[in-house]
Amino acid sequence: MERIVRAGVSFLKSSYIPHLLFTFLFCLASGGLMSFRNLDEGQAAQVMEMYVTFAGILLLTPLFLPEGNREIWQLEKSKEMPMWQLYLPRVLTALVVMAALVSIFPLIMKQGGGTFDYGRLWLGAFVEMLFLGSIGFAVSAITNQTVLGYMLAVIYYAVNMGGGKYLGKFALFQMMKGSYGFIVPMAVSACVLMVGSVLLRER
Amino acid sequence: MFFPLFFKECRQIAKSLVYYLYLIILVLFLTSQLSDGDWSDRLTEPKPGQESYGFKESEDETLIMESTLAELVRETDWNSYATYPFMFYKEVTLNDSELAEIEQILFECTGKSFEQLLDEMDAHFSGYDQSTMEGAPISGQTFLVEPAEDLTFEEFQNAMKRVCGIIGKGSAFEPEKLTASEPKTYEDALEDYRALCEKDKVTGAYMRLFCDYAGIMLVILPIFLGATRCLRDKRADAQQVIYARAASSLQVVGSRYLANLFMAFLPVVLIAFLLQSPYLYLARTNGVAPDVFAFLKYSVGWLLPTLMVTLALSFVLTELIGNVFAVILQVFWSFACIALETSLVGEFGFHLEPRWNTVGNTQSFFAQLGQLAINRLFYLLLAILLFGLTVLIFDRKRKGGVFWHGKNSKSRG
Repeated sequence: MERIVRAGVSFLKSSYIPHLLFTFLFCLASGGLMSFRNLDEGQAAQVMEMYVTFAGILLLTPLFLPEGNREIWQLEKSKEMPMWQLYLPRVLTALVVMAALVSIFPLIMKQGGGTFDYGRLWLGAFVEMLFLGSIGFAVSAITNQTVLGYMLAVIYYAVNMGGGKYLGKFALFQMMKGSYGFIVPMAVSACVLMVGSVLLRER
Repeated sequence: MFFPLFFKECRQIAKSLVYYLYLIILVLFLTSQLSDGDWSDRLTEPKPGQESYGFKESEDETLIMESTLAELVRETDWNSYATYPFMFYKEVTLNDSELAEIEQILFECTGKSFEQLLDEMDAHFSGYDQSTMEGAPISGQTFLVEPAEDLTFEEFQNAMKRVCGIIGKGSAFEPEKLTASEPKTYEDALEDYRALCEKDKVTGAYMRLFCDYAGIMLVILPIFLGATRCLRDKRADAQQVIYARAASSLQVVGSRYLANLFMAFLPVVLIAFLLQSPYLYLARTNGVAPDVFAFLKYSVGWLLPTLMVTLALSFVLTELIGNVFAVILQVFWSFACIALETSLVGEFGFHLEPRWNTVGNTQSFFAQLGQLAINRLFYLLLAILLFGLTVLIFDRKRKGGVFWHGKNSKSRG
């Protein structure tokens, strides 16, 4: 347990802090870009889906940054500690930060007089954030190129902004239209993507 | 030395997964956006006595006041105000006291209570079939609210500023965005048609639409090409080997930049050529001599500066920061550039991606052509400047210095 924690702290200090800082600034900037006043269900969903969920890309995609250097990756593989134990604290850190973001934003909207179901919005936004981030996570893991991970995740987000009508249950921005049927398929897909990509990576 | 390096870089790019993803996304996006439309009806000469010739922008102050007040009444009735504060469409909902303020402003501008205005609106819309494709937009465009007799345009603008203070930024009521449409006459439509045939030669009009869509992708996709190239040396631990080579920093960075530029631009030109082809045929069928080289003129003049700046910025940021963080910074910059567009048609200013999301409007385009030329020249010069910076940074790193916290210092290892 201690080794896992140490590995997580080491990753945080060496690679992840700039990304956390940037995510923090990204969230701070939302005050200048969006209104949090008197939002109904659809409007609150718009804030979460079009802005907050992007943080999933920022938090999950760079989790394999240190292993971008193959020598570091091979050194880590040569150790007794299984690789999944190395990745676990990183993923957990990202998930905790994501959960915090998804908790704080609806609270601010409620303070601004919003009328919406907090729990349902929380769950939908978290799953969507996880799914979007898992795309970048999976591509980074399989190709060992974080740039590619960012590329595909950002393009997926941009495609959805243009409509996403062919993506069915995997389209983003469904809560804005009052639909919550995406939660289970997206949650399952995100888990499959993340677990599967790590397994593939370590073969 | 330069040309062997250039060709070597091109070969490496051609083997890169990022490049193939760039191609696939570019092709899919452009074909999906441009294949649905059929603009062949624009090539039909208008006839006298048609029911409608479309609408054009009006600068008539009375019409602007009538049109804006009408829009304000509608949005107040729904308690839903459309705003575009950076990129996203954002719907603003007001509380009771804010709504009361808006209704008071409407009263001051029209001399009528909100209930009276609603009655007028209902009476107007009941005369149209809202369920048809023609009924809904025409009824919307012809609904006007008469301002008070003694209301001056300046007083009206001040009232709209108060409205903006309540709704927030990005609404259609901002004084600089106030606009109105009036129906085109037969003469207007004929003039547009002649301009389309004689000035645009048909293909030019279509190529502007192509550039509108292609520009969106060229603000985002090349970021990843540039970052991948600049990080390749670091990933392969080949930096010291590269630094030790006889080629100058200008030759090394120049060959990389130009190779990326060439490989990224070539598919854009090819796609433009292919998408233009049906309109060459359409023009000739209608007895119009098309501009065969429109695809090249617009690709080079409109899109190339955007691509150059995006790539150059990607190069300089990645070279400076030295890791993938540069990608994220530039992605946000790109989204911000797209978001800050004030219009989907024209008003080029100094926007990175000039927009023209329509086919035609030839006269309006040529009236703004000077503005576009200045815009494109600005970004061309900016790209050259950023490229120069990249060469400087690369050269500094090559000579053994690194950038740390903004200060140049010798590496310690």
